[in-house]
Amino acid sequence: MAVPWRHCWRWSITNCTKTRLSNYAVFSTLSPRGPGPIAGGAQQEVLPSTHPVNFKYTFPRHKPRKLWPASQLRCCKKIHSDTKLKDPFSLAQKDLAHLYDDIKKELYVSGAELRSLCDYYFDGKGKAFRPMIVVLMARALNIHSNSKGTDLLPGQRSVAMISEMIHTASLVHDDVIDGSDQRRGKSTINDMWGERKAILAGDFILSAASMALARIGNTTVVSVLSQVIEDLVRGEFMQMGSKENENERFKHYLDKTFKKTASLIANSCRAVSILVNSDPEVHEIAFQYGKNVGIAFQLVDDVLDFTACAAHLGKPSAADLKLGLATGPVLFACQQFPELHSMIMRRFSSQGDVERAWQYVLESDGVEQTSYLARHYCDEAVRQVSRLRPSPERDALIRLTEMVLTRDK
Amino acid sequence: MLPMSVLRATCSRLSCIGVTHRGQMNLSLFSNTAPSNWSKVVSEAEKIVGYPTSFMSLRCLLSDELSNVAMHVRKLVGTKHPLLNTARGFVYDSRNNLQMRGLVILLLSKAAGPSSQSAPDLQPQDMVSGIYPSQRNLAEIAELIHTAFLVHRGVVNLKEWSNDGQLKDMQFGNKMAVLSGDFLLANACTGLAQLNNTKVVELISSAIGDLVQGVYYESSPNLQDSNPGDIIDVDVWEEQTFLSHGALLAKSCQAAMELAKHKPESQRLAYTYGKHLSLGHQLHADLQPFVAGGGGAPAAFSLNSCPAVLHRQIVGQDKWQQQLEEAKAFKDQLDYSMLWAAIKSERGVSSAVDLCRYHGNKALEAIQAFPPSEARSALENITGAVTKF
Repeated sequence: MAVPWRHCWRWSITNCTKTRLSNYAVFSTLSPRGPGPIAGGAQQEVLPSTHPVNFKYTFPRHKPRKLWPASQLRCCKKIHSDTKLKDPFSLAQKDLAHLYDDIKKELYVSGAELRSLCDYYFDGKGKAFRPMIVVLMARALNIHSNSKGTDLLPGQRSVAMISEMIHTASLVHDDVIDGSDQRRGKSTINDMWGERKAILAGDFILSAASMALARIGNTTVVSVLSQVIEDLVRGEFMQMGSKENENERFKHYLDKTFKKTASLIANSCRAVSILVNSDPEVHEIAFQYGKNVGIAFQLVDDVLDFTACAAHLGKPSAADLKLGLATGPVLFACQQFPELHSMIMRRFSSQGDVERAWQYVLESDGVEQTSYLARHYCDEAVRQVSRLRPSPERDALIRLTEMVLTRDK
Repeated sequence: MLPMSVLRATCSRLSCIGVTHRGQMNLSLFSNTAPSNWSKVVSEAEKIVGYPTSFMSLRCLLSDELSNVAMHVRKLVGTKHPLLNTARGFVYDSRNNLQMRGLVILLLSKAAGPSSQSAPDLQPQDMVSGIYPSQRNLAEIAELIHTAFLVHRGVVNLKEWSNDGQLKDMQFGNKMAVLSGDFLLANACTGLAQLNNTKVVELISSAIGDLVQGVYYESSPNLQDSNPGDIIDVDVWEEQTFLSHGALLAKSCQAAMELAKHKPESQRLAYTYGKHLSLGHQLHADLQPFVAGGGGAPAAFSLNSCPAVLHRQIVGQDKWQQQLEEAKAFKDQLDYSMLWAAIKSERGVSSAVDLCRYHGNKALEAIQAFPPSEARSALENITGAVTKF
């Protein structure tokens, strides 16, 4: 039987230790303000079940066995107390120095206009968040596997590049689908050159990524990253539909979040693992780290859609609401304000819906609960990656989860 | 939309002869020429490759995602979004034949015969009608990619639509076109990955890149917009036509040989056949308005079609400009019948026919290296149908 989604955060809270609870201010707002009896009743049911059948997807089963016998707790403490450690960005810097030049080489095409479209977003101003995770994970795995030295393998370097290319190709198509005219502080490709050419440019970047992928010469890696492309499209389709039923709706949301955001990070991590290690359990660690960080990243993104501009400009951006999308904060808010239900179903299309939904979300604890859920995913990511042999890169991956949670733009 | 194409594919498979002889539902690649000849060639070729295939993965067509799109596309009825025409084309249009690429790939696979190597995925007992399962999957993938670009070609530029109501329709149509094209491409990618051959993945991915370049630089689908000042000669025409119409077939044919681990020489010949057949095929299509049976002067034709390009090259740019000016006499509207008559009166048409036959011969030459078989004969017949006027 399906466990109602609304209990997932309660389930997490009740499984947390008291000391952890005190770390999070959000908990003070979480207590019994939910929709009451239903939640309370079912909580009894969920509580004893440390077997999160339905959560297997979102809350990976705990595997106590460590592949590397290091105390997770101790190493975590060590990290947080050591201020001399470099931040993940600078640690990955040397591996990413030629990232954009390499991408431009892959995109080489004789037509000048098509080339300028394809190079447009590879201007070196992006965060290169995905390649950074991939190279850190690759180095951490190389040290863990200890067989082929610690330097990046050429294939791993390619995976980092391909992850950025696939990501960019999907952004280009998303901007057409959403009708966006701004991206990373400049006009979108569709705004500059029209929709038709933008779609073709996206297709071209994808074909170049696919060629680079094939040249790695590993059929498993090809399969793993092709899955990402399918997930991205299926995620986009999921975003078009909404579920009537609240429980299904939250699962649908997390499912979509995995496919649209986390699958790329998770499978890229798995790919660099496959290239250096033959142990499926290590591949799974890499995948689970990427998946959990990816979902957390998107949850924080969804929170920022409500908070970032409110803090900076004093007025809502609410881009998701305007696109008719009900993200985490809205879904949580809907528990407290059932009025939101009909607005979600009509995709905030009636006049005033966006503003009213915005108000409801701010009055509810939807933002806090979504942030809490993001933290839960990050904790899981840390737990997973801590099973690897300690290394500066592994520790950077742990610190990176904190950066995912605290970023404000 | 797409489920209807399944229906149509199923119909054509179950009763291929019956359906193919019915006017608009025929399988002809060329709407204006002897459909019976072409459908005879095709239906006989289909029998040779064994159990009939739609070449479009059913898993993909019957997916929730595409049924969803099909439902939404109904909302586009009455609008001018090109996706509607593309969707209609799956059902009625005989020009964008869905099966041509797949059929050629299967025939070549069969003509090349069983692999000389024994690998676990090349067991003789897995062959159906002399074709390996991986080669059948490849034929399907080529069709998925081709269809994806038919759909993506139809994305419109929103800035050209100022009217608010129409703009909304166009936005919606674009969204559907992007999503369904992406879906087909993504399925092609996962299908490619399952072939477990990175050389094939690289080859077909490069064909996708070629296709994008070809579509990117091809003239606007709206003939009124095509810029008559574009100076392209026949070499440029061939280059662009190869990218937009030939690369996918040529590289798929090569990949079919690679999947059976045939020698590089066989791969080269298969590539050559696919390349020249596609060029001949496009020449044939471009020539339709100018040859007998075309039914007099057409309402419009592309000024970048091969006969027009050759004509321009033969008479020289100055005379061509002059002819254009004369044809523009009324309200800046091009009088195509005047241009048509001008082109017909010179050697542009006969040169294009020669060029078509040249490519046909090159294609025939390439497959002579394969041992004689009914599959090879079918490939010869297809080439013959393309070069026949």
